[in-house]
Amino acid sequence: MVEARQRLHPLSPLLKGAKSIAVIAAALSWNTLGRVGATDFALIVLGLAVAVGIFSAIGWWNTGYHVVGRELRIAEGLVWRRNRAIPLDRLQAVEVRRPLLAQISGLAELRLEVVGGSKTEAPLAFLTVRDATALRERLLSLSARAVSPAVPGTATDAPAVAEPPLFQVRNRDLLISQLLTPQAFFLPFGVAWVITQFVMEGTWTFIGIASTVTAMAGVLLQPIRRVLRDWDFRLFRGERLVVNYGLLETRNQVVPPHRVQTVRITWPLLWRSKRWLHLTLDVAGMSGPEPGDDRGSDRLMPVGDLTQARTLVAAALPGVDIAGLATSPPPLRARWLHPFGLRFYGAGLAGAVFVSRSGRLTREMTLVPYARMQSVRIVQGPLQRRLGLATVYADTAGGRAGEARDRDLTEAYAIADQLAARARQARAALVSPGSAPPASPGSAGTVTPSSALPASPGSAGTVTPSSALPASPGSAGTVSPGFVPSEAKPPGDPVDETYWQRPEQS
Amino acid sequence: MNEPSASIAVDALEPWPGTVAWRPVSPRLIVVHLIGVAAWTVALLGGLLAGYLIVRGSPWLWGMAAVVVLGVWRAVVAVRAVRAWGYAERDKDLLVRHGLVVRHLSIVPYARMQYVDVTAGPLERAFGLATVQLHTAAAASNARVPGLPPDEASRLRDRLTALGEDRAEGL
Repeated sequence: MVEARQRLHPLSPLLKGAKSIAVIAAALSWNTLGRVGATDFALIVLGLAVAVGIFSAIGWWNTGYHVVGRELRIAEGLVWRRNRAIPLDRLQAVEVRRPLLAQISGLAELRLEVVGGSKTEAPLAFLTVRDATALRERLLSLSARAVSPAVPGTATDAPAVAEPPLFQVRNRDLLISQLLTPQAFFLPFGVAWVITQFVMEGTWTFIGIASTVTAMAGVLLQPIRRVLRDWDFRLFRGERLVVNYGLLETRNQVVPPHRVQTVRITWPLLWRSKRWLHLTLDVAGMSGPEPGDDRGSDRLMPVGDLTQARTLVAAALPGVDIAGLATSPPPLRARWLHPFGLRFYGAGLAGAVFVSRSGRLTREMTLVPYARMQSVRIVQGPLQRRLGLATVYADTAGGRAGEARDRDLTEAYAIADQLAARARQARAALVSPGSAPPASPGSAGTVTPSSALPASPGSAGTVTPSSALPASPGSAGTVSPGFVPSEAKPPGDPVDETYWQRPEQS
Repeated sequence: MNEPSASIAVDALEPWPGTVAWRPVSPRLIVVHLIGVAAWTVALLGGLLAGYLIVRGSPWLWGMAAVVVLGVWRAVVAVRAVRAWGYAERDKDLLVRHGLVVRHLSIVPYARMQYVDVTAGPLERAFGLATVQLHTAAAASNARVPGLPPDEASRLRDRLTALGEDRAEGL
């Protein structure tokens, strides 16, 4: 059955045009305004607006979407036609976004995250809110059916609106948290500097002031942007994570839990007095992290305390409790590479995630679920070679990697091997849920990991080959067989018990 | 069960000694790299020589000497770097190691494979070599094996795709 191709909402060209005009007006900047005068400026903008409006209308007329089987097809373009098919089993996350104008006109934009796109692919802008929500539910249910046939019914139980959110940020906390940022701290100095400049020079031209304010806004207003963006942050946990936030532009984002690639926990320096932290999560398809931008990672928690963070991490990565994640620091000789804050580095293999910590001032902890790992790398630079150290990376599709920095070489191999084995297991558990991993043929049970992981990092750089490398997947019997084991460590699991120490937890 | 003994030194290029069957890349790749180094050196020498002929002066000669020394050093590095490349196919994953100064070892599960490239530049083709590259969804995963004879390259590619297929998963 092929359904008819649908057009976007007829108001879309107007709204899109408005955005372009704003961009154009901003690009022309104060300078042009000063040079050509207000009436000419208005004429230029008006002329451009008409042109943009016509182009948008043509674009709208030629844009259409429909769902065919398990694909979303989007056709667009007049001269260069593009007909894109998005297989829904590859869908990573869906967002309904409503910029200010769309909120006024009751419209919404639907954005799909697909792996491989350097940016969000195929934003459907704009639809009515009801259409957008319905389409999203439909896409997600098709996607869920494709991925995990073992979990049916996810389609029907849409997140009920009445259900109380699992987590909510108080707007007061959000404001305070953004006041406690470097930018907010420097804002008074910036303002004072500008004022003294003008007082000293004694010239008060409108253009001068406007330019300075515009320039300052770019850098210093970032906290305000964050406040506007994260305003009224609410997170619901049904079958999927549903996140609502935004003041001028509201966003409603749905992330299926099995799409979470990494979770990063950050303790900023200035928030420490409040004991606050924030959480971000990565979904594949959102290209690498861009600092200061609102693309990149998604917020899981803009601000909150440890208790809330525990709840949220448990929601995003089932079975993970961040208070109970053990990490161990690199060997002491790594202090040649990290003179300060060596003890804030660490890595650990928890039940379902690979944990790594870093950062002296802004402390960070990265959680990579074994099931999401793409590959494991060991890298050893020349300095590290002199010291007998190596860094282990657990790569994910989210752009970020878990890093066990500067581990003892023997230990690095043991970690890499454990990571590979656990990733294999987690994948096996995902592909065939419930079925135990195959019985190990032969000697796989003879793994004696305590010898592979010397308790003292300084002890000779040796390794027992057969114990360091489980030769067959069956040897993963030392790792807990389930995909989401709780923090209760399986008795045979050597890594967590004999070697990794507990973190310093407050 | 072996006891850990000090005699087994851990080397960044030899993880898990004795359990992984490392396969080297073709020694013909050395020749390819040496030709590259030679071409580079000759080009630089030519430039310097032209400079010397136009404006006589000892700095040009010093520069040429430096280029020659650099070329020799790079040749040595190229030879050793090719010997450092290696790959091993395990049950579920491919191991690739490379690098002399910065040593890399990648463990890429077949299940994570998105696609495989087999490429061969003109120089590589002339020596009957090809490069196999395994791509995963993570940009950082880099499993590239250069200097494979075409038979081996296509065998590896077929094996990788065959092993990757039956484990298709959304991501």
